[in-house]
Amino acid sequence: MKGSLSQRIYLFTLSCCLLLVLLFGSVLWSSQTVELSFVRDDYAKKLDNHTNSLKQLVMSDNIYASHYSVNKWKILQKKLTRLLKSAPRLTPKLQTIQNSIHSQNETLKWVFIQISQNKLNNASEAIKDHLKARLMMQLEAIRSDSLQLSAIAHNDIYNTIKNEALFITSVIGASILALLFGAFSLTNVVRKSLDEVKYAFKKNRSGHFEKIKLSHQSQEFDSIVKAFNVMNEQLSETTVSLAVMKEVVAERTYILEQLSNTDPLTKVANRRALFERASMEFSRAVRSKNNLTLLLLDCDFFKKVNDEFGHLFGDELLIHICNICAQEIREIDFLARYGGEEFIIVLPNCDIKGGIETANRIQRSLAAHCIAMQDKEVCVTLSIGVCMLNEQHKDLEQLINDTDKAMYQAKENGRNRIEVLTPPNLH
Amino acid sequence: MNKKALFFSVLIFTIFFGAVQLYFYAQSLWQPQKHVVTIAVSKTPLSTPFYVAKAIDAFDDTCVIVMFDEVIGGQRAFAKVMSGEAEFGTSSDSVIAFQSLANKSFVSHAMFVQSDNDVKFISRPTANITSAAELKRKRVGVTKGTASEYFLSTLLALEGLTIDDVKLHHFQPEELVEGFINNEVDAYIPWEPYAFQSVKLLGKQVKIHHTKNVNTLSFNLISQTADNLLVDKAKCILEGLSTAIDYIASHPHESKKIVINELQLSPEFIDWVWPDYIFKLGLNQSLILSIKSQAIWAIATKMTSHTQVPNAEHYIDSRAMLKVSPGAVNIPL
Repeated sequence: MKGSLSQRIYLFTLSCCLLLVLLFGSVLWSSQTVELSFVRDDYAKKLDNHTNSLKQLVMSDNIYASHYSVNKWKILQKKLTRLLKSAPRLTPKLQTIQNSIHSQNETLKWVFIQISQNKLNNASEAIKDHLKARLMMQLEAIRSDSLQLSAIAHNDIYNTIKNEALFITSVIGASILALLFGAFSLTNVVRKSLDEVKYAFKKNRSGHFEKIKLSHQSQEFDSIVKAFNVMNEQLSETTVSLAVMKEVVAERTYILEQLSNTDPLTKVANRRALFERASMEFSRAVRSKNNLTLLLLDCDFFKKVNDEFGHLFGDELLIHICNICAQEIREIDFLARYGGEEFIIVLPNCDIKGGIETANRIQRSLAAHCIAMQDKEVCVTLSIGVCMLNEQHKDLEQLINDTDKAMYQAKENGRNRIEVLTPPNLH
Repeated sequence: MNKKALFFSVLIFTIFFGAVQLYFYAQSLWQPQKHVVTIAVSKTPLSTPFYVAKAIDAFDDTCVIVMFDEVIGGQRAFAKVMSGEAEFGTSSDSVIAFQSLANKSFVSHAMFVQSDNDVKFISRPTANITSAAELKRKRVGVTKGTASEYFLSTLLALEGLTIDDVKLHHFQPEELVEGFINNEVDAYIPWEPYAFQSVKLLGKQVKIHHTKNVNTLSFNLISQTADNLLVDKAKCILEGLSTAIDYIASHPHESKKIVINELQLSPEFIDWVWPDYIFKLGLNQSLILSIKSQAIWAIATKMTSHTQVPNAEHYIDSRAMLKVSPGAVNIPL
């Protein structure tokens, strides 16, 4: 349902007013019904009183006596008849009783006429007694009907009050429920909408320019949200967030770091990166007493190849050597360009045997993969010096120097070979 | 509408539906045990409340399944009750008065209709009877021990006569007209519908005398002296009758149609008697007085061989009526 909160409040107030009108109407109707029932009860009581007066008149004196005042009877009888004609508005059930009283009254009149006729003065005592009994019976019938009428009126009053009380209780109960529901739903709409707006502001502060989507629609919040969303859209177009800025800086820093640590030709680590990494591995090996082996590789006759095939081919060759090395070493090993055509491979957790094995693999692979140049295959070899960290090595430079010595031994001993610097030859 | 509101709506609906189902189930469990009762119903429009109750299924919500045993006259209904053929019957206060003299073991549970013009005085125009005074030494047909006989004795007494002054012929109610046609009587005292039938059949050969208010006749629900079970059954019958009487008060035209159909009567006849009938449930002092006065009268006029005036209160059982409509019971305790 989409509507303004104020509209909802107006609607709610209007509903409350309608309920009040309904309550007022029902109370009015009930009071009228009760009043009518009281009038009927009053009427019934008057009938009862009149009938009792007539009964007393019959019982107090000998109705057949010559001095008996017929006029008194007639006056009371007329009053009773007049009263019957002034009956209030009656229900069909009460009307039946009223008809009964009317009929009994007619019979009463007839019986009294028979009694008051002079000819009865000579009639037998039996018929006199019988007619007197009939007279009393008719009066009793009228009195009983009056009492029944009164009882029904009382019952109607009781039922009307009971029903009205039930109705009022129900309406008040329903109103309280509706009031609670209305208050809850209104509070819920306001609270949720405010939370959603607050959340959007929070997001905004951290640079996330998200649109607000309200879970409860209301005109008031819709207008706020619309204005906020327009503002947000404009901000998102003109503002770079801190997070985005950090991401850009981090990306650029990473690229710069890569550039400062990488040899631009071969794309393997440069000398600076080599020393950084090798120092770290050296310290770790010393600290944890693990093995650490270095390989120093030098391309044999590189100057000759350069002279023969040009510097560009020389560059290609260096890249080829790097690719071969990269393929033959482990993930944890570290390949770096040491300078010119010299490369160093750092082998953490690797003894001399492993170093020789790696060196052998590289040589075999290089021998198997010659590089093509003008329909001609050019094969190069490597002289590799191997040295493992031992107690005599106090720093990284000493270890590199020893590896360098081993490599020179390989050069001196005919190239394309692997030389290991034995302990007596260590620096 | 969000999911929560939908869920609550479905929940409330389910609870409401469940409660309604439970209510009807519980109500079916609480239904009282049904008793089959036979009521000897006098086949006259005075029994309208019974026919209407049956037609509008007013007994369905009570503890009785009602079977009607239709009879002619309250006296026969009384006989059926006393013989055990029917548990309940409909009888006039005159029948009750006459039977109380015989000290029979029965009670009236309630009066459901009254009429001040049901019993008629019909004579042959050629007999030149202008009033009851001229019935002296005439042949008069009545139904013995009923309102018919009581009515005649009252008429005669008002003129200073007794039943000894007339030649009394006893007929069954439906045979009165035949007796008149066969010239066995000069006048007769029938009740409806026989008075109406006489007029229809014989036209100007009969003269109906104005006797309205001479006698107020009431019809009552009677049974043998009741134990608790019988009182419970009477209560259920009265509940059905109460519903029917309310219906008659608010739907007189429909009620007339029901009686016309049930008793195969002409609308003309119903229009003839209906204004004299007052259908209402009651049990009051006037019934006791009526029974008593009629019994005393029967003794005084030698209509009965009994001489002991009965205690009329013994023939009234107000227990069922007090449960159904206490406001309609006016009997001093």
